Amino acid sequence: MALVEPGPTGVKTGAEAVDAAQSGSDPVMVETGRRLGVAFWMSLVWIGLVVIAAVFGDLLPIRDPEELGIRTREVERFEGPGWNAWFGGDGQGRDLFSRVVAGARPALILGLSVTVLAATIGAAIGTTAGYLRGRVDAVVALLVDIALAFPGLVLLVAVRATYGNSMVVFIVLFTITSIPAYARIVRGASFALSEREFVDAAESMGATTRRVLWNELAPNIAMPVASFAFIGFALVIVAEGGLAFVGLSLDELTWGQLISEGAGDIDRHGHVALIPATVMFLTILAFNLAGDQIRQLYSPREVATQRRLTTVGEHRPRVGDATLHVADLRTTLHTPTGEVTAVDGVTFDVAPGESLGVVGESGSGKTMILRSIVGAFSLADVTRSGTVDVSGVDMLRADDDVVRRTLGTRVGMVSQNPLSALNPVRRIGDQIVEPIVFHGVAAPGPARARARDLLRQVGIPAPDRRMREYPHQLSGGMRQRVTIAIALANEPDLLLADEPTTALDVTVQDQILRLLDEQRTRRKMAMVLVTHDLAVVRGFTDRVAIVYGGQIVEIGPTDEIFRSPRHRYTVALMKSMPDLALPSHSELAVIEGSPPSLLDPPSGCRFAERCDAADERCRTVAPELTGASTAGESDRSSHTFRCHHPVPVTVGTGDR
Amino acid sequence: MLILRRFGRLAIVFVVVTFFTFFLLDRAPVDIAEVKAGLNATPENVAAIRAELGLDDPFLVRYLRWLGDAFRLDFGDSIVLDGFTSWDLISEALPKTLELMILAEIIAIAIAVPLAIASARRPGGWIDRLGSTSAFGLLALPSFVLGIYLSFLFGVQLGWFPTIVDDLPSIFTDPLGNLRQMLLPSITLALNLVAVYLRLLRSDLIDTLQEDYVMLAQARGLSDRRVMWRHVLRPSSLNLTTAIGLNVAGLIGGALIIEVLFAINGVGRLAIQSVILNDFAVVAAIVAILTVAYVVVNFVVDVLYTVLDPRIRHGAR
Amino acid sequence: MAGRGHAHLRDDAVLTVLDLVVEFPGPRKSVVHAVSGVSLDLRRGETLGVVGESGCGKTTTARAIMRLEPVTSGTIELDGMELSKLHGTDLRQARRSMQMIFQDPVSSLNPSRRVRDIVREGLAIWDVDIDDDVSERISTVLDAVGLGDEAVLERRAHEFSGGQCQRICIARALVMEPDVLLLDEPVSALDVSVQAQILNLLQRLKRQFGLTMLFVSHDLAVVKNISDRVMVMYLGTVCEVADSDRLYESPTHPYTRALLASIPGDQLDLPPAEELISGELPSPIDPPSGCRFRTRCPMATEICATTMPELRPLADDPTHVVACHHA
Repeated sequence: MALVEPGPTGVKTGAEAVDAAQSGSDPVMVETGRRLGVAFWMSLVWIGLVVIAAVFGDLLPIRDPEELGIRTREVERFEGPGWNAWFGGDGQGRDLFSRVVAGARPALILGLSVTVLAATIGAAIGTTAGYLRGRVDAVVALLVDIALAFPGLVLLVAVRATYGNSMVVFIVLFTITSIPAYARIVRGASFALSEREFVDAAESMGATTRRVLWNELAPNIAMPVASFAFIGFALVIVAEGGLAFVGLSLDELTWGQLISEGAGDIDRHGHVALIPATVMFLTILAFNLAGDQIRQLYSPREVATQRRLTTVGEHRPRVGDATLHVADLRTTLHTPTGEVTAVDGVTFDVAPGESLGVVGESGSGKTMILRSIVGAFSLADVTRSGTVDVSGVDMLRADDDVVRRTLGTRVGMVSQNPLSALNPVRRIGDQIVEPIVFHGVAAPGPARARARDLLRQVGIPAPDRRMREYPHQLSGGMRQRVTIAIALANEPDLLLADEPTTALDVTVQDQILRLLDEQRTRRKMAMVLVTHDLAVVRGFTDRVAIVYGGQIVEIGPTDEIFRSPRHRYTVALMKSMPDLALPSHSELAVIEGSPPSLLDPPSGCRFAERCDAADERCRTVAPELTGASTAGESDRSSHTFRCHHPVPVTVGTGDR
Repeated sequence: MLILRRFGRLAIVFVVVTFFTFFLLDRAPVDIAEVKAGLNATPENVAAIRAELGLDDPFLVRYLRWLGDAFRLDFGDSIVLDGFTSWDLISEALPKTLELMILAEIIAIAIAVPLAIASARRPGGWIDRLGSTSAFGLLALPSFVLGIYLSFLFGVQLGWFPTIVDDLPSIFTDPLGNLRQMLLPSITLALNLVAVYLRLLRSDLIDTLQEDYVMLAQARGLSDRRVMWRHVLRPSSLNLTTAIGLNVAGLIGGALIIEVLFAINGVGRLAIQSVILNDFAVVAAIVAILTVAYVVVNFVVDVLYTVLDPRIRHGAR
Repeated sequence: MAGRGHAHLRDDAVLTVLDLVVEFPGPRKSVVHAVSGVSLDLRRGETLGVVGESGCGKTTTARAIMRLEPVTSGTIELDGMELSKLHGTDLRQARRSMQMIFQDPVSSLNPSRRVRDIVREGLAIWDVDIDDDVSERISTVLDAVGLGDEAVLERRAHEFSGGQCQRICIARALVMEPDVLLLDEPVSALDVSVQAQILNLLQRLKRQFGLTMLFVSHDLAVVKNISDRVMVMYLGTVCEVADSDRLYESPTHPYTRALLASIPGDQLDLPPAEELISGELPSPIDPPSGCRFRTRCPMATEICATTMPELRPLADDPTHVVACHHA
């Protein structure tokens, strides 16, 4: 429906991304979470100290910040830090520690008032704009644009000249200049939220606009606002400091002023400027840290771990002529929550011209099998063991160059989502030509001719024009054809297709499956077709592997598996699919429960917990792949399964 | 089409900002004619000056006249410094500020981009941890604090650079002598930007690295370097481009403080002096020029955007 | 216009949609013709399946009935009340008697609220807390959707799987005791085994509460399983309406036949899909004249380009209506 649905896209605007960067939405910070945890409490302690200084500054047994050392003789001019005066003395012999303590109060009053006011007003404006959109939103966006360009200096000059430089004036001034930042953050958040369907659901129940804003949006916006408030607080301190530094600030003793006073003597008496500067730095750091920690409470991101690919174990060379030979492949992802064995001892062969279907539900590990073959894991710390052999090349242990060359010239890959499978900012022609030229298969000129020919072969009309176009100018089906053309570019022996039609409409799916089938037959390619859809497998593969919990639970010739499935999971999966051949309102078989966690897989049969036929043995003893044919696991006519209580051959699901 | 619309929007920004600036300055309870006439002026003198300057005209007329003159770079005479036009003062100061800002931008990008790429290659690796931690620290350092640290370290303790800029030679005739003085201020101004750019680009790179087309590029046996430069960097640089544009306003503010700290006679210092002396003609001129700078940079960013992302060119996004 | 006509409408319907048109502003002052004259009706206790590919307007139709999309023209009559022009409190009141289930069950639940509040929200909006035993009503519906455990009430959405979230959504809708339940691709985001659970659940709830449902999906097999009647849509128009079993036994509209033939593993006696459909989906900004399917239809002739086929009943079964000149 994306074609006709109205409304703006959910694309993060540049400005929002910039906000995110400044306020620190940074996935890696989660990984260092434990250390930051300590830092968080330390920052709270520091903030607490600042608050104490601000509130009880007058009552503390310290010197008067304005008392001149030249008069009292207690503190020398420019006295260094020490026992007498902890932070030393300034140019007039005033106790710097007392002055720093005194500076905490205006910082706190200003920061707190501005933050509370600006956050409240900004949140109200932002929520309204993000939810109501349309004209309201356009006006707010324009105002924010203007505010960003507006020189705060001018506002300050004018207001100062008219109203003086009292605290109240500064609070108003800073509030006005801070509102756009809050409004923008909240607008972005409410925009994203109002795309979510729970807002539609609330409206469907007859909720008023006010109620939607208050009950559905506000609670979800509170945390981002709270997080940014800490950072905003710090920004106020910075801004005041900057103004004080250039001599335009409050008529009070502030840290900025202290730094400004000391800056002139930096050559000889560095501490007079460095100490208040450091206090200010630590305060800002503390607020930023606190804000960052709060953000992590509400956005527990997937942790980006070390990108690393390691291999353990021995290579077992292929027997026979299989294009792809996978033996006892085991893929472990090292995540912060633990070790996930996504692929657990998978073995299969695919011969030239043969097509193997790999079927499973989400999280079964079916996609990870393909990823493990090509070794492309976006950002993960992965260990592989076992054997992946493509046309005689050990894909797990050969040199990088050899593996790359094999991938580039012997293997083609098609992925699930044609919308994200092509680089959005490069021309289609360039993307097809790239692997041909990179691997030295042809020079750029002939490569382009070949690309045109490939586009024609995959059924794209007017290939010359298409070569110059960008992916977004093509429909989903056409894009998938382009991905297939790229996969075929270097005449691969092996085609890996990961849910190639899941994102496509049924009529387009049919075309793409036929195209893949035709190319496979014509080029005698081996093909692995990963899908969740049994019907797809049935029509387009020679053999099927059913995957559950990271393991192949049943594998054999497609016809035989559909005629007489043996594993209990296979049978249940088939029966739970609505079938066009059955009358309307047929009761579907249900698999209760949910798939096992691969973090801590059960010791016995992985399906035992959801299986009607499971007994004690199933729960404790993991079944091996056994089968009707005893010819061995690489025999392509064999039908093997991991089940202690296989479904008898005669029962099956019949000839559905 | 899109470009035209953006240009219209930026033109509105310019008009609104200058209008409000003029309006606010106009509201200030300082009589320009009195200031100009001097302390011993008679009321008649003041009235004559008022008439000469056209201060009795309605506000809108004065604004439009000022705006019209401004397009010819005629911002009127300095009210305080006799014999100087506002433009004289600004044109004297502007090159130094521009140099400072451009140098800072170059330094920031030169540090941030390679660092972001190295961090995104191995998130959680030592480069990444170091970069992210430094960025977090730098974001907590206001430029005047950072400036004090740096000039204390490099100027006072190590003595590599002067702590104030004095009698700056032109970068075209004596580049080394110029840079010796300008490097420390530029780095101070740049480091904050480094933190912003690094975080932004790093997280966008990591997002892009998880895209299917990047995985497929790897699966096609392309080298890591090629994947990074041809497939990852360009789609990841959109937000960075926006950030560079948006940061112009912040950069101007930062430059102001740096100029005070390092005693550079740039536009920022001129602005502060003019404010303190109530030289509103100069203030208004500076605001107009800075707003133009902001608008122009953001317009360039918009154009760059359509170059970087064909989807925007075709209005698909 | 193609697919216009009211031959399939009946007198005793609880919901009747007449000539619904939904148009959005497209890029550069163009108009997106999302829904162009769709008529449908629902009898009490009946399930109507709406099936079609992306861009056919099925989701927009459901959302427009709920008034979540602007209705350009046409009428929506629920229990004799016209809804398409309502505003403010009247609209809120009307929405109350219809409820909607969305495609993404996780995104349909407010992450910051507890299940108890989510399910109670509808009652809270209408202040039924006072005279009714609210908590009993809530536990009844949660029980009915298979989430009878007391502990569920205190948890939040992220603690549930997709299938469980969809159950909560159904409970939230049922609490309102709606006259009509609109389901927009409710099982598309779920795995096959979970999908079966939800479909069986809906079937049971239909019997238990006498639910009236409009079930939108792209999946022909799912629609067949759940529906009493099925309506096939293409590019904003209705192609064919028939009783569920009948439609799949004797698909008549060329597009319906193409759809069914495209399903892999041919269980139906149809020619290969490539003989039934060609080319690409035209843009809804500039839809073809006459019959909207004609640009891809092997049977298209002159008349298809000039005249919109009206929905007309077939001779052997008047409840089976088709909008095609050649069927």
